[in-house]
Amino acid sequence: MARRAAVRTVQRRARGPVPQAKVPIRVKINGVEYSHEVEPRLLLVHYIRDVVGLTGTHIGCDTSNCGACTVLMKGTWGNEWRAVKSCTLYAVQADGAEIITIEGLAKNGELHPLQKAFWEHHALQCGYCTPGMILAALGFLKLNPNPTREEIRKGISGNLCRCTGYVNIVKAIEAAAKEIREKGSWI
Amino acid sequence: MQHLADVEVYSVRTLREALELLSSVKGLRVIAGGTDLIVQLKTGVVPKTNLLDVSRVDELRYVRFEDGILRIGALTTFMEIYRSELVRRHAPLLAEAAFTVGSFQIMNKGTIGGNIVNASPAADSLPPLYALNAELKIVGPRGERFVRIQDFYKGYKKLDLMADELVAEVRIRPPGEGYVGHFFKHGLRRGDAIAVVNGAVLLRLSPEGIVRDARVALGAVAPTVVRSPSSERVLVGSRLSPEVMWRAAEAVVNDISPIDDVRGSAAYRRELSVNYVFMTLYRIARETGVVA
Repeated sequence: MARRAAVRTVQRRARGPVPQAKVPIRVKINGVEYSHEVEPRLLLVHYIRDVVGLTGTHIGCDTSNCGACTVLMKGTWGNEWRAVKSCTLYAVQADGAEIITIEGLAKNGELHPLQKAFWEHHALQCGYCTPGMILAALGFLKLNPNPTREEIRKGISGNLCRCTGYVNIVKAIEAAAKEIREKGSWI
Repeated sequence: MQHLADVEVYSVRTLREALELLSSVKGLRVIAGGTDLIVQLKTGVVPKTNLLDVSRVDELRYVRFEDGILRIGALTTFMEIYRSELVRRHAPLLAEAAFTVGSFQIMNKGTIGGNIVNASPAADSLPPLYALNAELKIVGPRGERFVRIQDFYKGYKKLDLMADELVAEVRIRPPGEGYVGHFFKHGLRRGDAIAVVNGAVLLRLSPEGIVRDARVALGAVAPTVVRSPSSERVLVGSRLSPEVMWRAAEAVVNDISPIDDVRGSAAYRRELSVNYVFMTLYRIARETGVVA
């Protein structure tokens, strides 16, 4: 079996001082297939930004506090879209996954309802937290399409914004939720 | 931030591969969701080690109810636990705790097995597991064995777990009819809060409001999560009156040994423990109609 042979190779390498070779991974980001050989310790956020070149996913705190690096992922750990912080995830853990980043939201030049609502409700000032905030909101709306304001606050509790004070962000997510429900399509 | 460029991450897809690597490679640390471990590695809180990534071992991701026992695979995420009808029916205390571990991003990635083995005394899943008398299934090259949750922790971050073993499953026997309980937590930020104090209270009440069984568990106030026998003794056999609830709440200080740290002082934690246990008892008393 190929996998057992692979395990034996890993075991052999791991015994000696020889570092593990690069590991092949395949992911689909915003509908595009990518396959790369990566260092096993490469974090997903660095993979997305530096290897794939999609720099819309930001790094804020690097320690899972701020949520700026949030992306949506499915196909690993179950087949539902879920928001995860890509700074505490190795790229190899995402092998085989589908990922949506902020670059994947606008379609044919038309902004996604969340992007539009953030614009219309002044839900950003510097914009640094916005990609993570929007993807956290999207992952949350997938679970709860018709949330109260209080539920929205829980939904984005993993994301920090140091400019707006959150009030307009909550309003924007509320407005976007309505549009998404009316359109019947969340992405 | 610690330099991690020489850390190896071995990814496996089956339990068998995981156990083989654990036996043959020395010094591997197991990583699942990584919500705490990767941060601890980056900030140098834990020594740098090579990692065995088990996050993709799908055979350890399930919630089942068989032979009267709720079985939760070690890699089940807190989101799956929170949303599971089986957990809500048979161990609602645990579902409550799962919702508070952190933001949705943390719930989506953090696993119950990781929470258990990470062994923080503030781990949110542990007070419910102590109150529910949960049992862990541990697998290794010598086969499988079962350990009660309170026997699994030997001291601060000291586990009854050999280097070549893995926690595979959490087992909970539903306590049965007439039990009511709640989880509580005092944290600083909902999305990313390590508890200052957390806990679980689980009671069996007679129709007249007499406590027949009491289980009070507290976290973040001792080197491990603890049960409070002093508080439980006050409760059992008594009617859940405000006076009994205060005495039971005040008794928890006999069984805890909190420390001062960045999240709160020992004195504050004692105060919080008493107040939260009282509030949780009161909540249970109101919900069951024992007090108005």
